Formats: sequence, structure tokens, C-alpha cells
Amino acid sequence: MPKLRTAALVAGAALLARRSLRRRVQASPLWPMPALDPPVSGRPRSRALRLLLTAHETVADGVVRLRLEGGRLPAWEPGAHLDLVLPSGLVRQYSLCGDPADTSSYTVAARLVTDGRGGSREVHEQLSEGMELQVRGPRNRFPLVEAPAYVFVAGGIGITPILPMLRALPDGTEWRLLYAGRTRASMPFLEEVRGLAGNRLTVAAGDEDGRPDLDALLADLPERTAVYCCGPQGLTAAVEERLPEGATLHLERFAPRADAVGTTAFEVELRRSGRTLTVPAGSTVLAAVRRELPDTAYSCEQGFCGTCQQRVLEGEIDHRDELLTAEERAGSMLICVSRCRSDRLVLDM
Amino acid sequence: MSNTQARVPLKARKVSFSWDDTPLHWVPGDPFTTHTINVLHLLLPAGERWFVHVYKQVLPLIRDDRLRADVVGFIGQEAMHSQAHDEVLPHLREQGLDPTPYTAQVDWFFEKLLGDRTLPPGRARRWWLLERVALIAAIEHYTAFLGNWVLNAGELDRRGADPTMLDLLRWHGAEEVEHRSVAFELFLHIDGSYGRRVRTWATAFSALVFLWQRGARFFMENDPTLVDGKASFRDFYVRGRRGLLPGTGDMLRSIPRYLSRGYHPAQEGDTEQAVAYLAASPAATAAERRVS
Repeated sequence: MPKLRTAALVAGAALLARRSLRRRVQASPLWPMPALDPPVSGRPRSRALRLLLTAHETVADGVVRLRLEGGRLPAWEPGAHLDLVLPSGLVRQYSLCGDPADTSSYTVAARLVTDGRGGSREVHEQLSEGMELQVRGPRNRFPLVEAPAYVFVAGGIGITPILPMLRALPDGTEWRLLYAGRTRASMPFLEEVRGLAGNRLTVAAGDEDGRPDLDALLADLPERTAVYCCGPQGLTAAVEERLPEGATLHLERFAPRADAVGTTAFEVELRRSGRTLTVPAGSTVLAAVRRELPDTAYSCEQGFCGTCQQRVLEGEIDHRDELLTAEERAGSMLICVSRCRSDRLVLDM
Repeated sequence: MSNTQARVPLKARKVSFSWDDTPLHWVPGDPFTTHTINVLHLLLPAGERWFVHVYKQVLPLIRDDRLRADVVGFIGQEAMHSQAHDEVLPHLREQGLDPTPYTAQVDWFFEKLLGDRTLPPGRARRWWLLERVALIAAIEHYTAFLGNWVLNAGELDRRGADPTMLDLLRWHGAEEVEHRSVAFELFLHIDGSYGRRVRTWATAFSALVFLWQRGARFFMENDPTLVDGKASFRDFYVRGRRGLLPGTGDMLRSIPRYLSRGYHPAQEGDTEQAVAYLAASPAATAAERRVS
């Protein structure tokens, strides 16, 4: 009976195969697919935090301090800032000025700029305790580097990133601080700074002391002194101008430079296609590129879907999107919203 | 092939969800239903990123401006779906259910197995692109089916399912219903061969069943709150009858519809219902406010 024998053989083989497969799957339930190393999914690029505003208090003339509470928050180092998504959708950056050891809340301070773009007005007038705010970050563009000596120059609200730096400096470090402002009453955290700095502090309130004496501050610095400056453009420019040789300058401008706010024209080179084009003021890189390369991928045109991301080979990018991570920002941009600070941008397309 | 329903211009919506208040078993007392639907969060981040990746390469082949506009809108919607589901994964990890072993495999599946591959330019590369476009059309038949199902799954509301998760699923489902014709029309536009439609349907369907049952078993076995969590087809069938999951019969009946030569996605689902949901969805309306 050859037929019966064949059937028995096949059934036996099938049983054996089934049993070994079961054993294999039991030993490792996710057998037999390989995994991608490192995995991509499950690490969202812009996971916004939703934090509760638990304090909204005036700490100086025209300055409010916000305390945002949440569960275990990402750690940060002195100099870091947060992106605050305001209820209207405006996104503003504020330096963290609380204690980095506190992992359950973030503290920021904001000055009211009456002729600004509306962000600070919203922070002052529309926010109130008990509201939930969306926050991204923290990111650090102004990190405290190791140096033999430090000079800090803060203009008004520019004290916020410097305050946690002062607390973090190891004992015995040589440093001094110039804290400038319009009036003493408008300078936030003045008492705390005085307590931290003692005789290393020079206060220059415009209405009492006149212009700050930067020349004296920046004289006789040890070699490789790190100079940290955060303040309005006049102050940062003055420090930049007087920087002695051998010292390194670390700047944080708290308002974007005038040319970044408006829209200026610049040139874009598409290196792989060998074309150069001009992006006019008021138009986008994407629109200009699409005239040359109509099949360029894009979608939302508002800087959140990420479809139009392109590699940047040269040029100072002015990121205006809400998606890319710090690493991605280093070498790429979303061409639908982001622009260029310099007058020339080179894209790898 | 006429599309009788009104065309809606497609655009991505910038939604965001907060998962802080969503419990692990967001369908209360029903881990199997929760985890079967949770498999979406495992497959979609990598899967929809892959849709975008493939469609970016197809754009130069499109010779119809209206279709191109639809594909552009489709890409942005899919990119947002991928991001939104991706944000659920850290929440699962925080609750003790780490999805990474599984999602790393799904990443491999879409990035490597279905990725670009080193093919010579010309016929081979074009063949692989057409094959993937047809696969997407077949998968979109099921996303539209599921989208239509979740928009009508009143049983989930009656069981007290988490409102944020329901909003994510229904926002996504409504956009899938809204753009359900795009993938199939694109497939017809650049190829449309019936043989390829059948072949890629078989591949897509088998892959979906394989990955889905595996994902449900993975979640049930690794759920820290279940002692001896098991997933079975019987569980699936029973919940399908109760309206907590798609019905097995409905799913089987959707197969011949896709394979029929007269198929057009416009016959499935209801655009008006989808648009009405999007007009009322908490996440979508918040996105609208943020943009304007």
C-alpha cells in the first residue's frame, strides 16, 4: 500500500515540522523576523510636554516668572531654553532660570515687549495659573564650557540663562558679572544675584549709573577667559567689539536679529542639479525650488509634516519649523518655512 | 469609474495628543480589545513613514495635476498619522509595556525588506516602485475599511473607552476615509494592471494578518498586569460579533470587493461622515485654531 505509506510519511513530517516551529517560537516569541538596529519608531522627534502653569508672578517691573510643573521632566544644563507653545499657536523661546536639580518643574521669566510681535504680551496678559501649556525642549545653544575664568554680561532679562550658570560654577572659580538694566526695579532676580556674586557683581542701572563700563570689565583678563553675554543687540555688539584677544565669546541674543524677522531675499544653489536661484523676500525656498524642480516633495507648507526636509551643505539656516531635532537642524532644513540668515544657501538637491 | 462623492481638497492637520491620562487598558476591563487595536501603534509609525518615502519617489511619474495635488495632501496626512501613533509608544513604555522589540522588527520590515534596495536604474527600479505603489493601494483598502469601522464603532463609547485614544483613532480613521481614493487612483494612473493588483493584495493581506496576530500576542504576553495573557482567534471573533473589533464576516466580505474589476474606493465609507467627524474632533479643531 504505497499510498498509505506516503500519506503517513507526509503527516509525520508535518507533525515534526509543526512541533519544531512551535518550540522555536516559544523560545523566542518574535522569531523569525530580524530587527532594525538601532530602531527608529518609538522615539518621537518632537514629543511636546504638557505642563501645568502653577505660578505666574511679577518679579520685577514688566517681568513675570512662570513655573511649569509636570511629572519626571527631561534634564537640562545651565544655558538651556524651552520652546513655549502659547495658546494662540505662537512659539517663543525662554531661558530656564530655575534649579537644574528640580526634575518636576521648569522656571522661566519673560519681559513684556510692548512693541514686539505679540508673544510676550500673550505671556503676560493671557496666561494664568492652572492653565496647561505645551512645551518643547529643553535645548541648549548657550552651554557653560570649562574655562580658567569667566566674565558674564547680562542685560535685563538676559540674566535668566546666566543665573543657573552662577549657581553651577565650582567654588574657587574666578568670575565676575556685569548686570545692566534700565532701572533697578526692572532688573529681575537682582537680590538673588547679589547674594550669589557678592563683590564680583557690578550693577549698571541706566537711570542711576549711566552706561556700563565694559572696557573696565574686559580689561586684564587671564588667557582663555570665557565671556558670556546675553542681552539686547546693542549690548552684545558692544561686547563683541571690545572682546580682548585670547578670550572666547559666547552670545545669546534674546530677540532674533532684525533681518531674521522680516523676509530678505537670498540666493539658493541646488548643487546636484547645478542650478542657482533667488528666493525673493516674502516667498519661500520651496516655492523657488519648485519653479526649477516641479517634482520636489512637500505637503503641509507650514513646517510640521517634514516631507520637504532637505540636506543643507552650506549657509546659515534660519530654522522656522516645529519638527526637526537639534541634530537634524545641524545639517538639514524644512524648505517650506525655514530660510537663510546669510545671503547664500547650498542645498543637496 | 466615476467618483460620485464630492471631492475634498486634502490637507494635513497638525494634531497633538496628551497621553498622560490614558490608562494601559484604555477599553476598561478588556485587555484583548485594547491590545488588538494597539497593534496599530506598532505598525503605523514605520508603515506610514514608508508610504511617504515611496510616494516621494512617485511624484515625478504623475501626469495629472489634480492627482498630484491629492498625493501631496495624502503624503502630509500620512506623515502626521505616523508621528501621532509614534507618540503613543513612549507612553506604553512608561506603563511597563516596552514595544521596542516588536517595533524594531516592523522598522526592519519597512526600511529594509520593503526599502529601496540596490537596484539598477531603469526597469528593475521601476518594477519595484510599481510593486510598492500597488501594495500601498491594497493596504489603503484596509485602512479605509478600519477607518470606516472605527467611525461607527459606538460600542467602544458605550464601554467607556478612553476619549483621547478614540479621538486619535477616529481622527486617523476619518482622514483615511477622506483620502481613501488617492492610493488606488495613483495605482491606476501609473500602472493599474489587474495581475499586480491581485498579487500585491495577497502579499499585503497575508503580511497584515501575520503582523497583526503577532502584535496582539506580543502585547498580551508582555502586558505586566496580565498573569497568563493569551490572544486567540476566538477572542477576536467574539469581539467582532459584539462590535468591539471589526467583524470577521465584514472583513472577509471586503476581499472580493477589492478584487472585483469594478472596484473603486469611493464605494466604501462615507466622506460626509468623515468630514463631519473632522469638523468636531477635539484634536483636529485644536489644530485648526493653532494654524489660523
